Amino acid sequence: MLKRKAFAGVFVIFLSVLVMVGCSSDEEANSSSGGDKTIEFMHLWPEGSSAQHNKIVSDIIKDFESEHDGVTIDLEVLSNEQYKDKLKVLSTSNELPDVGMTWAAGFLEPYVDGEMFTPLDDLLEGDLNDSFVSGTAEAYEIDGSTYGLPLELNIATVFYNKAIFDQYGLEAPATYEELQQVVKTLNENDVAPIALGNKDRWTGSLWYMYLADRIGGAEVLTNAINRSGSFEDPALVEAADKVQELVDMDSFVKGFNGLSDEEAKSMFMNEQAAMYLIATWDLPNYTTNEDVPQEFRDSVGYFPFPTVEGEGDMNSFVGGPGVGLFVAEDSEVKEEAKEFASFFVQEWGEKSVTEAGVIPATKVDAGSLDLPDMYVDVLDDLNEATNITLFADVQMSADVAQVHLDMIQSLFGTEISPEDFAKEHEEALSAE
Amino acid sequence: MGRIGYIILYFCLGLVALFQIFPIIWLFLFSLKDNKEIFSGSPFALPAEFRWENYVKVWEGGIGLYFWNSIWITGIAIILTVLLASMATFVITRMHWKLSKLVLGLFMIGLMIPIHSAIIPLFSMFLNVELIDNPWSIVITYTAYNLPITMMILLGFYYTLPREIEEAAIIDGCSIHRMFFRIILPMTMPVMSTTVIINMIYNWNEFVFVNTFISSDKYKTLTVGIQNFIGQYMTDWGAIGATLIISVVPILLAFLFFSNKVVEGISSSAIKG
Amino acid sequence: MNKVMSNKWIIALYVLPALLLIAVLIFIPLILTGYYGLMDWNGIATMEFIGLENYINAIQDAKFWESALHSFLLALFSTLSLLVYLAISLILASKIKGSDLLRKIYLIPMLLSSVAIAQLWIKVFNPSNGMLNSILMALGVDNPPAWLAEPSIVLYAIFIPILWQYAGFYILIYYAALKNIPEPLVEAARIDGATPLQIAYKIKLPLIMSVFKVTIVLAIVGSLKYFDLIYVMTGGGPNGASEVMASYMYKLAFSSNEFGYGSAIGFLLLIITLIVTVIVRKATATKEEIQY
Repeated sequence: MLKRKAFAGVFVIFLSVLVMVGCSSDEEANSSSGGDKTIEFMHLWPEGSSAQHNKIVSDIIKDFESEHDGVTIDLEVLSNEQYKDKLKVLSTSNELPDVGMTWAAGFLEPYVDGEMFTPLDDLLEGDLNDSFVSGTAEAYEIDGSTYGLPLELNIATVFYNKAIFDQYGLEAPATYEELQQVVKTLNENDVAPIALGNKDRWTGSLWYMYLADRIGGAEVLTNAINRSGSFEDPALVEAADKVQELVDMDSFVKGFNGLSDEEAKSMFMNEQAAMYLIATWDLPNYTTNEDVPQEFRDSVGYFPFPTVEGEGDMNSFVGGPGVGLFVAEDSEVKEEAKEFASFFVQEWGEKSVTEAGVIPATKVDAGSLDLPDMYVDVLDDLNEATNITLFADVQMSADVAQVHLDMIQSLFGTEISPEDFAKEHEEALSAE
Repeated sequence: MGRIGYIILYFCLGLVALFQIFPIIWLFLFSLKDNKEIFSGSPFALPAEFRWENYVKVWEGGIGLYFWNSIWITGIAIILTVLLASMATFVITRMHWKLSKLVLGLFMIGLMIPIHSAIIPLFSMFLNVELIDNPWSIVITYTAYNLPITMMILLGFYYTLPREIEEAAIIDGCSIHRMFFRIILPMTMPVMSTTVIINMIYNWNEFVFVNTFISSDKYKTLTVGIQNFIGQYMTDWGAIGATLIISVVPILLAFLFFSNKVVEGISSSAIKG
Repeated sequence: MNKVMSNKWIIALYVLPALLLIAVLIFIPLILTGYYGLMDWNGIATMEFIGLENYINAIQDAKFWESALHSFLLALFSTLSLLVYLAISLILASKIKGSDLLRKIYLIPMLLSSVAIAQLWIKVFNPSNGMLNSILMALGVDNPPAWLAEPSIVLYAIFIPILWQYAGFYILIYYAALKNIPEPLVEAARIDGATPLQIAYKIKLPLIMSVFKVTIVLAIVGSLKYFDLIYVMTGGGPNGASEVMASYMYKLAFSSNEFGYGSAIGFLLLIITLIVTVIVRKATATKEEIQY
């Protein structure tokens, strides 16, 4: 009797699991075979970390669904890191969502090579003709076809705390030499000059890229990466040397190689550091974000990266489009998916700038919108920009980007000489 | 040991206790502070004003949705793991068969797989049997991946069980099932409670599998939910602290309950023995 | 007796459910990992068979061996700290006043998720506002180090939260094992005039030896495949100074688009762990263990 009970006990548990597993998978199978069309869409703005972005996306989806009978959008939201990992797993099984988010250039390339993303040229020639700021959609172009629709456009500038600058009688520096002077004065007064979170590494890369741009001109780094030039170009070595010069004079906050960008941002926003080089996606923190004290927001200004030894063009920027939308090649609802992507980009343009403080990659009529001063200034800068160099780690293929980022950390940690820094890059790039 | 010896002993124990508990208290304090206090005030100071609104803010963000999923997934996986592991360990350590060493070796190898190399194969397997975006894929994965460590912990205890008990039971005409469920399992209650605690902690905090296999919001668990919140208050560290504290409370309560079981179980089985 | 205890049906019934689960969910992925290691695959396009190239490259990869060294250091420290955990457990189990409360306090850190622990210790280690440096400066240290930024320190700094995190886990196991020792045995020794130290050393330790050996294996295996805190707190940096095998594998597979190579590293990690475990098992094996 007891024997049977024991038997039964074990098996009931084990079988019930199997049955439940079986049943629920049947359900899944049934629900997907309905007559209506479903577009799977994945994005990386959780309600948590990016409330405004998230809300705009929901609104756009609602609008699209109400305009298109019988089409539903099946949404999955992940935070940035998790999004990248999941996209990777999905691609190994060829299970990409119908519409999702991608980054430009180096990130995009393997997906295009593997024929995972579909070309969107017909959209660019049709509905979206002439709607993007020049240079943005091009970053998603490979072999003459465009595979992504950019959503944002960012440029990196140096934000600084005007209150701290005033206190010590400082002006926004226009040259590298003035910057050194500012750093010196701040250090003499025990104020940390520059917030930098170099655990994330692309943050230090911004400093290096700007110095390279000012010393060697807009093309030198890009040429080294696309192999029409060499990374051992004297200008690229000198830029590395200048980075170490800044490190040696304690320009950056203590322990920057172990701090994340978020921590560095906190230091700047809590007035523990006077300057912070970051891209314009941070503008809301200094203008419209109500969670940040008004007093602090009023005290923040920005200046374009200074010239070095009289060289360089202050209208040349580091930046580029951030995420863009892709449509999966194997999508079963490709036409609807493309339509959704196109609809998304058009609605995103205006909503994103007014509601989320994003500078969209689509052309905006700044004059007709009521924007904070700092936005107007940035948009002016963008109009006058002579060049925007795409973030180095985005330009490079994934494995070279890892080398670059590791080398940046070593360079800032003064564990490697500028010459070796250039040599390692050259080796990684020519091994491609 | 003299009086001085005891004083030194308690001093050392107290120091370790401080080391183990202080960061939690600190986390709790800072969950009630605002940014200014966190960054410029002393980390030891009490908050000037207890900002419980940090908790309200986090709770209203919708964390409650994920609680239930965490609880039932964790619970079922624990029952399955501990039961299956006990059965297998019993047979491996107490019964006589040729392959027992080999099978034990297989379970030990299961301990060694790095999960990041497992997720891509697992994903495609679940995809083939349509278990993607199904919480049961998580339950069986948790069970499988916790089986080896649970068995390892049980192993040392099963080895020390006195042979006489089995002999007596069998002479009394007791079947193996009855012996296992009525005698062995109750005797191993303390170590089972230990493995329940460990499984509970692992499952409750697990993140990679849920993130990979689940796509619908309705099946996500607390850890994945929290991940979305850590980003939210990028600059609002008080809210991050509140999120972390909220995620610990349920497991802390369950832990205190099972932790007493570790001791209770022993005293009751000691009486029997 | 022997006939009952070697009933094949019962053995199969008890062991197969567990075996089946790990065969499908652990061994198939494991074999596939080894198989992917033979491929040139970025995880996106079609894969291409390249034989043992990835494995040969891995064996010559200085970065891999550097990360392996870090993993071995972690394994060493974890194993040594087992002695501390054991000592604490012996004290707690010896019925001193307040031991119940102390035990619960010691176990608290292991309840926290790695995300929480990482956030916590990032703040402890923060070079300018962190708890650790605040204490050091209060004690008069002029220029305390930036713990997570100095390549020579970062690896050891990050061991602290890992050992801290796992203290509760082992204390819990040891405590349960010690409480399992029959009370009359200890009592008899005490009546014979044995000191607490003698009781611990001569009676308690031998009785929990099999548990202790299991924890050595757990500590080593756990350390060699350790990933969580290191990835969140330093990302293996600065420039690989805190890289361990699992984080290196993860970066290759998920960040560098070298999924084939990453799988090969993952498979090697498993082989290395297996070899070390076998050596440790052999080295700690005693006659008594074969007793059953």
